Amino acid sequence: MYKILEKKEIAMRNTWYKVHAPHVARKVQPGQFVIIRAFENGERIPLTPVMWDREDGWIVLVVFTRGRTTMRMAAELKEGDEILNIAGPLGNPVPMKKFGKILAIGAYTGIVEVFPIAKAWQELGNDVTTLNVTFEPMVVLKEELEGAVSRHIVEPVPIDPNLDFPANMRNVTKRLTEKVHEMLEKEGFDLVFMVGPAGDQRAVFNVVKEFGVPMKVDLHPIMVDGTGMCGACRVTVGGEVKFACIDGPEFDAYQVAWDELIARSGYYTDLEAKAMQEYMKALQGGGQ
Amino acid sequence: MARAKPKLIKERVPTPEVPVEERVRSFVEVNLGYDFASALKEAERCIQCPPEYAPCIKGCPVHINIPGFIRALRENPDNPDEAVKNALRVIWNDNTLPAVTGRVCPQEEQCEAPCVMGKVGEPINIGKLERFVADYARKHGIEEALLREFMGGNGGMKGKVAVVGSGPAGLTCAGELAKMGYKVTIFEALHKPGGVLIYGIPEFRLPKEILEKEIAKLRELGVEIKLDYIVGKTVTLEELLEEYDAVFIGTGAGTPKLLNIPGILLDRIYTANEFLTRINLMKAYLFPEYDEPIAIGKKTIVIGAGNTAMDAARSALRLGTEVTIAYRRGREDMTARIEEIQHAEEEGVKFEFFVNPVEFIGDENGKVKAVKFEKMRPLDERDSRGKRKIVGTGEYITLEADTVIIAIGLEPNRIISEEATGLKTNSDGTLVVDENLMTSIPGVFAGGDAIRGEATVILAMGDGKKAAKAIHNYIQAKKANA
Repeated sequence: MYKILEKKEIAMRNTWYKVHAPHVARKVQPGQFVIIRAFENGERIPLTPVMWDREDGWIVLVVFTRGRTTMRMAAELKEGDEILNIAGPLGNPVPMKKFGKILAIGAYTGIVEVFPIAKAWQELGNDVTTLNVTFEPMVVLKEELEGAVSRHIVEPVPIDPNLDFPANMRNVTKRLTEKVHEMLEKEGFDLVFMVGPAGDQRAVFNVVKEFGVPMKVDLHPIMVDGTGMCGACRVTVGGEVKFACIDGPEFDAYQVAWDELIARSGYYTDLEAKAMQEYMKALQGGGQ
Repeated sequence: MARAKPKLIKERVPTPEVPVEERVRSFVEVNLGYDFASALKEAERCIQCPPEYAPCIKGCPVHINIPGFIRALRENPDNPDEAVKNALRVIWNDNTLPAVTGRVCPQEEQCEAPCVMGKVGEPINIGKLERFVADYARKHGIEEALLREFMGGNGGMKGKVAVVGSGPAGLTCAGELAKMGYKVTIFEALHKPGGVLIYGIPEFRLPKEILEKEIAKLRELGVEIKLDYIVGKTVTLEELLEEYDAVFIGTGAGTPKLLNIPGILLDRIYTANEFLTRINLMKAYLFPEYDEPIAIGKKTIVIGAGNTAMDAARSALRLGTEVTIAYRRGREDMTARIEEIQHAEEEGVKFEFFVNPVEFIGDENGKVKAVKFEKMRPLDERDSRGKRKIVGTGEYITLEADTVIIAIGLEPNRIISEEATGLKTNSDGTLVVDENLMTSIPGVFAGGDAIRGEATVILAMGDGKKAAKAIHNYIQAKKANA
């Protein structure tokens, strides 16, 4: 049981949780994640500690309200409540090396996973530029990143109310690829790193590939246990089947079988929508 | 005094089961077990071999005094509470999880295999009697009184032991050490303790409520369980050794083997571990009341024929799909328990023998739609593990399936051995141990699937018990030399 010390909405559909989890705080390294279970009948979801204090024993999680579990958390959890389970740290830390000039990209709430990595790379002597492309009302951690890396660029994309959600998301993808193209054309980078939806990662990778710049990605396949015992998160990397939770989550973008990864991330779309609808119905029903 | 020659009752007293048509629609426990009267009748069949000879005791990996607990039942035919309390005391001396073992042990290969009664008729139904004792005691509040006798009361003064993993090996090791007076802390990666008992074995074989009560008993004995702890990540083995007098590793074999054939990443191809974890641990069969989803189609193929395959097949059936088990050897080569194979057949699971998958075929949306198999043929030879050798015939068949569950085996998880580099492993990832189950690091012991690869619950428990004794000797020797 892990106490929520702070909870606030820091942007549209983005909630900040500062949670007491000393066992994770004392060990976590940039690139690692946790698996949490917030409710007794809840599922296990992977999240990334964004900040931590080893001595005081807290971690910060920033959660994008995406489906039933994250929405339940936003709606039902209050400061002072407890999260039932936080397992971690899990996965491998990203390599802490001097790469040189790094472009670290976070699409949507992916920027919160970029934050601890970019910060640590910068502290190690790398020249890090971070780029956050997201919808205008969803910009997060702007000041924190400005204080942590050489340069932080925010590319807010307005939400067009006349377009449906997929069309709006395509606008983000477009801005992402255009911006990355522009930046790579203007200046040289030694490494590109990206966190975001698999489709956007592939789109950006296709741009980066043209310039021949090395690229690393944090992958987000479906996870259940996060400890290597089920293989739900399997991905093909360099022709071999890997488990993202124990072999990753960071991989070489040039080695990832993108089509397969994108297909696998959509396996539960219908059931996820059903879970969400049931929850919305319950919320509405509760008030009547 | 001359004893009357025992009257042999050749046939077992049967245990009732939930009818097939009712049970395939739910996850309720299939076997209902004995009541006191029928347990007593079955107990009367035991010819009471003396303990120093009794083959059943030798067949039990934790050497429960089986004639002893059966005698305790018979001694108080008019006082069930007293009878059960005395029987349970005998069982607990050697095994703190009888409600679990009575249900999941392959008794036909263990205690019941050498039972003398089996030579003239059916062996004594030891597993079901053990289960009866545990269940009756739990339902009638007999455990609490007995627990006090076992607590020892020296409050962990003998030393501190860390147990890594809360599966059958870890739980047994912890229970035995607690009874001896050690302060034990279990470190578990998942959010519930039990290992394979909680995520692997379905409710219809082992109700989770019963498991939870068995584990609660260990807590009463003073065992602390830390959940969400991944040893190797959350805490290192070295850190544990600084704080504890000894460590027991019971991390099992939880990493699924995958088939290295085309199409393995198609949608709706599960490892049995993922499928069973979603169902058992996360209760996905109660979706959307529970948040965890499970996607399943109308035709499921389960690949493999061990207990895991039976559990996966019978679980899938309960989600409303047709199920076929596809196995590369023959019917007589299946490694699952006979009782489970029978249950699967009764419930309508179909079997395809001598077929070996060579490819998963997907549709345009990336979902699996069929499995291509090569037909196999047995040879008159056995491999090093005593299994029948098979060869491909060059003939192929393709079976339709919109869901596939792979249950071809498991290997040890390497998180801990990758972190603790001093820990010697074999090429298959199992930990190297000596005859006292001590690993290459002094003070670190290991048992169960972590040293054997995929084996059985009761062998893991046997190791846990053996390791507890070795740990006791190790700590006491260390203290004497200090």
